[in-house]
Amino acid sequence: MAAETTRDFEALEAQAQTLMSVFTKAGYDAVAPAVIQPADVFLDVIGESLRARTYVFTDPDGAELCLRPDLTVPTCRLHLARHADPTTPARYCYRGAAFRFQPQGADASHPREFRQAGIERFGDIEREAAEADVIAIVIKAMEKVGLKDWSLRLGDLGLFSSILDVAGISPLWKKRLDDAFLKPLAFRETLKAFATGSSVTRLSVPDALLSSLDGADPTASEAAVAAYLEEKSIELIGTRPLSDITEHLIGIRESREEKPLDAAAAALIGRYVGISGPARTAGAKIAELVNGAPSGSRAALEMYDRRLALLANAGIDLDRVTFSAEFGRTLAYYSGLVFEVRAKTLGPQSPLATGGRYDGLMRAAGADVDVSAVGAAIHTERLLAAMQGASS
Amino acid sequence: MSRLTLAIPSKGRLMEQTTDMFARAGLIVRKVGHARGYRGEIDGLPEVDVAYVSSSEIADALKAGSIHLGITGEDLIRENISDAETRIGFVHKLGFGFADVVVAVPDCWIDVATVADLEEIAMPFRRRHGRWPRVATKYMNLTRRFFASKGFGDYRIVESAGATEGAPAAGTAELIVDITTTGETLRANGLRVLDDGVILKSEANLFASNMAAWTPELRSLCDGIGKRLGGAPRTPDRG
Repeated sequence: MAAETTRDFEALEAQAQTLMSVFTKAGYDAVAPAVIQPADVFLDVIGESLRARTYVFTDPDGAELCLRPDLTVPTCRLHLARHADPTTPARYCYRGAAFRFQPQGADASHPREFRQAGIERFGDIEREAAEADVIAIVIKAMEKVGLKDWSLRLGDLGLFSSILDVAGISPLWKKRLDDAFLKPLAFRETLKAFATGSSVTRLSVPDALLSSLDGADPTASEAAVAAYLEEKSIELIGTRPLSDITEHLIGIRESREEKPLDAAAAALIGRYVGISGPARTAGAKIAELVNGAPSGSRAALEMYDRRLALLANAGIDLDRVTFSAEFGRTLAYYSGLVFEVRAKTLGPQSPLATGGRYDGLMRAAGADVDVSAVGAAIHTERLLAAMQGASS
Repeated sequence: MSRLTLAIPSKGRLMEQTTDMFARAGLIVRKVGHARGYRGEIDGLPEVDVAYVSSSEIADALKAGSIHLGITGEDLIRENISDAETRIGFVHKLGFGFADVVVAVPDCWIDVATVADLEEIAMPFRRRHGRWPRVATKYMNLTRRFFASKGFGDYRIVESAGATEGAPAAGTAELIVDITTTGETLRANGLRVLDDGVILKSEANLFASNMAAWTPELRSLCDGIGKRLGGAPRTPDRG
């Protein structure tokens, strides 16, 4: 990769200062979280797949550390260090380097060291308003440095849950589909298995044992599993207790006995997952699904419409906004709204900014409760490239 | 003529089996100088320098190209070299040093038979114990690549330098990725291989480094050694 020119360095510095001034004027406090972070938090939240993308190293004391792959987790840790009560409302903004190993080799759009500028806000009660505010400020900041040609793509992981409620499926299927939604491949298999009534597991556990288990009587069920292990001379070892094993076996048994997902519900879920397009059209499609569904709850639809109204109020041109039901499924720690800002000049693989809601992250960083959290980060080198590409 | 460096494992069964195999092919390997030294030669092949090196260092030396040929397990090559297909040539399978790299779980996990089952228990495990299931292994890269190919990411690797099979019983990990030959050690430690848990069937190979400096003479020398070992005369791609 070619070395950064003086001109690019100066342009990036000027751009970052403008972005930060928009953030701080909007009431976000400037912070500078540590570059070196404990690896634990990242690996625990995001899982081992992250290790392949992160510079993890061991210091001379044997502690496992990493170069921050983003500034969101470090900002959460900074918030926890500042406030004994993690739900204390706070708004932060930052600019700084983040580091990611690029398995396909680093290039200009995917450098291994890049500079982010972003905002995070914690402890908001008005959830949708906080989300709309974050989106509006990020876009406003990018417009302030000269970005004209942008589009906004929305997704919502929470909406899927609401759609499952509307589909009128059993709590067991709901829980399983909810867990599987974040894993697109597993999801398709699960949905298929549920719709056809075929079992997903291939265990050697005898049916007699499975059918003797009863979720209402965990003590007797555990005793039955213990007796089976004894009979087979299998020693119970390790950290996973008998109760975990028994509970999972009961789950397997229940899903074998559960009636297949009815065709109408499976079709509804399938149609929802397929929704993608202009935000207002997508809203109309969701309305169609919800209104035609057996259970009449309109909560999901209301949430969707409220969000669009808030964005429009904040000055976002809804003609530039699209919605995709599948978007966000492969992103690491988001729990509700997800969004990305794209530029035509850079293409879909290189969003200029990404963000969303991540209510579970503060707990993973050490808080004892979930904390309302929403934020976004701008990939500043891409932002500069998008504008240079547009002007040349 | 330039010289060819061949690295042979410096101790244990792998060294003995290598020396025997070479002798059967009419290649008599002798140590030079002190019996505890780490340099050797082959009778009748004065252009070959033999170096006695530990198996894992042989993988590193092949990767860097500081040796031309080396004998080590395929597991170490695949683990230590992410682009093994480019850097390394497989000259000859030696027919010993068999070992499977496998995913093994406690046998008492009667509710888990496949990687898909692991994925199913990972989230409830995290809810209950506040962390992902831990995998003890010295094969960090093989483990990561294997689970990634199955779309499974909800686990934590715990690096293990030795006695990996003991980790689940000791409570330092929930499951392991390790090598096994007969499965005896796994069984003795109350572990069982997952139905789809064989990551790699490994054996000792004569490997050539594509990163080393090769001349036509050295290549034909390498061919000759490969032929005498009974292997197909495969040579490095790059001269």
